[in-house]
Amino acid sequence: MNSVASQFTFKNTKQDFQDAQQSLSGFQQLNLAPSLALPPISQPTDFLRAHTDDSVNPDCKIKIAHGTTTLAFRFKEGIVVAVDSRATAGNWIASQTVKKVIEINPFLLGTMAGGAADCQYWETWLGTQCRLHELREKERISVAAASKILSNLVYLYKGMGLSMGTMVCGYTKKEGPTIYYVDSDGTRLKGDLFCVGSGQTFAYGVLDASYHWDLSVDEALELGKRSILAATHRDAYSGGSINLFHVTEQGWVFHGNYDVGPLFWETKAQEGSFNNVEG
Amino acid sequence: MDIILGIRVQDCTIIATSKAFTRGISILNSTDDKTRQLGEHSLMAFTGESGDTVQFAEYIQANMQLHAMRESYELSPKATASFVRNQLASSLRSRKPYQVNVLIAGFDTKTEKPSLNWLDYLGTNVELPYCAHGYAAFYTSSLLDRHYRADMTQQEGLDLLQLCVKELQLRMPMDFKGVLVKVVSNEGVKIVDF
Amino acid sequence: MSDPNSINGGSAVAMVGKDCVAIACDLRLGNQSLGLANNFEKVFQLGHTFLGLTGLASDVTTLSETFRLKTNLYKMREERTIEPETFANLVSSTLYEKRFGPYFVGPIVAGINSQTKKPFICGFDLIGCIDFAKDFIVSGTASDQLYGMCEALYEPNLEPEDLFETISQALLNAVDRDALSGWGAVVYIVTKDQVVRKVLRTRQD
Repeated sequence: MNSVASQFTFKNTKQDFQDAQQSLSGFQQLNLAPSLALPPISQPTDFLRAHTDDSVNPDCKIKIAHGTTTLAFRFKEGIVVAVDSRATAGNWIASQTVKKVIEINPFLLGTMAGGAADCQYWETWLGTQCRLHELREKERISVAAASKILSNLVYLYKGMGLSMGTMVCGYTKKEGPTIYYVDSDGTRLKGDLFCVGSGQTFAYGVLDASYHWDLSVDEALELGKRSILAATHRDAYSGGSINLFHVTEQGWVFHGNYDVGPLFWETKAQEGSFNNVEG
Repeated sequence: MDIILGIRVQDCTIIATSKAFTRGISILNSTDDKTRQLGEHSLMAFTGESGDTVQFAEYIQANMQLHAMRESYELSPKATASFVRNQLASSLRSRKPYQVNVLIAGFDTKTEKPSLNWLDYLGTNVELPYCAHGYAAFYTSSLLDRHYRADMTQQEGLDLLQLCVKELQLRMPMDFKGVLVKVVSNEGVKIVDF
Repeated sequence: MSDPNSINGGSAVAMVGKDCVAIACDLRLGNQSLGLANNFEKVFQLGHTFLGLTGLASDVTTLSETFRLKTNLYKMREERTIEPETFANLVSSTLYEKRFGPYFVGPIVAGINSQTKKPFICGFDLIGCIDFAKDFIVSGTASDQLYGMCEALYEPNLEPEDLFETISQALLNAVDRDALSGWGAVVYIVTKDQVVRKVLRTRQD
């Protein structure tokens, strides 16, 4: 049975990995990417999966940081990006102060869900690619092109254990405010509103109910913040604090970091909401 | 995935259950009722393993009726929930446990208060102002956290339910064919147009 | 993932002070990642003895009801409430009765003996092995964190007010590093002639 199944299983061998690396170095745009080391064993990807992927092996000892709520939506006056800041490894809260919005350059933001290191590394790398594009073409890169570079890159590594769910957000003259959802399966989607991560459903719940195109900047920022707050409350793997951004024609603007601890009680008192909580 | 949702308001408890009866890749029936009335003022909504659900619900229903006939009074909602919990908890450690999750909506005629209990197949029992089973809980909990008020009227409760159903229709991958809504108040159990 | 001890989440801790004991728990009840209820107390008062129960919520309810029944029967037969030491042995034997199909719980007991006026705390594994301790006992999904906090903050012979501060800080800071605990907390401070219950306002994420 196993031998039959293995014929149909997608398997990366050491050779595949080296092929991937070679195709990377042949790809002129990717010259600057540091090379990725490879464990000296016959099946590096299976080895990695067996020890780090808790969906395959729940008892695996190495837990990669997971669990997040991130959102971004387009509206009349740009884009609002809001994220939480908790990193968990199993039930252990590894950090409450993670920066999940990666400032790719002054006009582009990337959000981080899934493997923290994967997102941080490749979105920083995306920044260098965008800068190279600017130098070559004497023009800022479009959001479509930037997101496509990232999506092509992760697709090259498909099946090797990358884990990312990200939104590339930016504002260019020809595109206007634009959001692309890119994940490690290789999916790339343009859209008006996305929530990504373990707390996505909670954020969607609040966001969908109050979202409309003609939101003012203050309303939109408040709604983004409130949606993440809802998710941090209900989702065990989201929390810490909220980071808020507004993307405009002039680039992105940071709108503060809000600790969920006090923010929850302020919001509850102000709105008269969260009536399931006493006090 | 079935939708089982409950909201307790000022003087009644609202229960909504999805009308689609799904087996494998087909919807076999789009007028399904996933509730059983346990007494004059109590209603149980259920979801879980097919076969187990209706068997368990009707077993509870029969026992509640038997109790009412023998003792000539009906159990309070709290006692009902406790009885159902005990059945689920002892079933859990039997050869073939019932895999059924339920919500119990009741109106206590002594204290004049509505109630809503969340129970899962493990025998976890909590009294809550609003709750749901399955994926529906992931979409509606945050919405209810935002908009729920304890002193809402029945109509306001139904409006809030409408908001939840809209969200589920927007985001759930499967068509659940709308919801059947029942209200438990001091007047007993009634079906509401929705 | 399907570990019965970490489906619902929750933690409890007990400490000994000078002629007093304290026992505390969080209030969260969840279904894996989803927070369901924030009023699920895990400490139960049985006469002048206190029982903390963490683990599978279903078994927490089952056992708290079992012990309510057993201690009430004890009270009727003996015409006095059960002493903490006696209760500890009752817990132990009740758990061992289910040696081959255990309750998935981590009980802790705290109280002051009404005859000797001596504070008493102890903990158990899920099949009833008693762990007597002179300082503190921890249990639940944040037990690793609680060990760390208690080892750092605990000192012997604290007065009730200081014991309250110590146990509260230990619990709060421990559950803030556990995804499955929190959502409020309750602390009981027990001295020989009074019981004070305090609800702590905590982070809600």
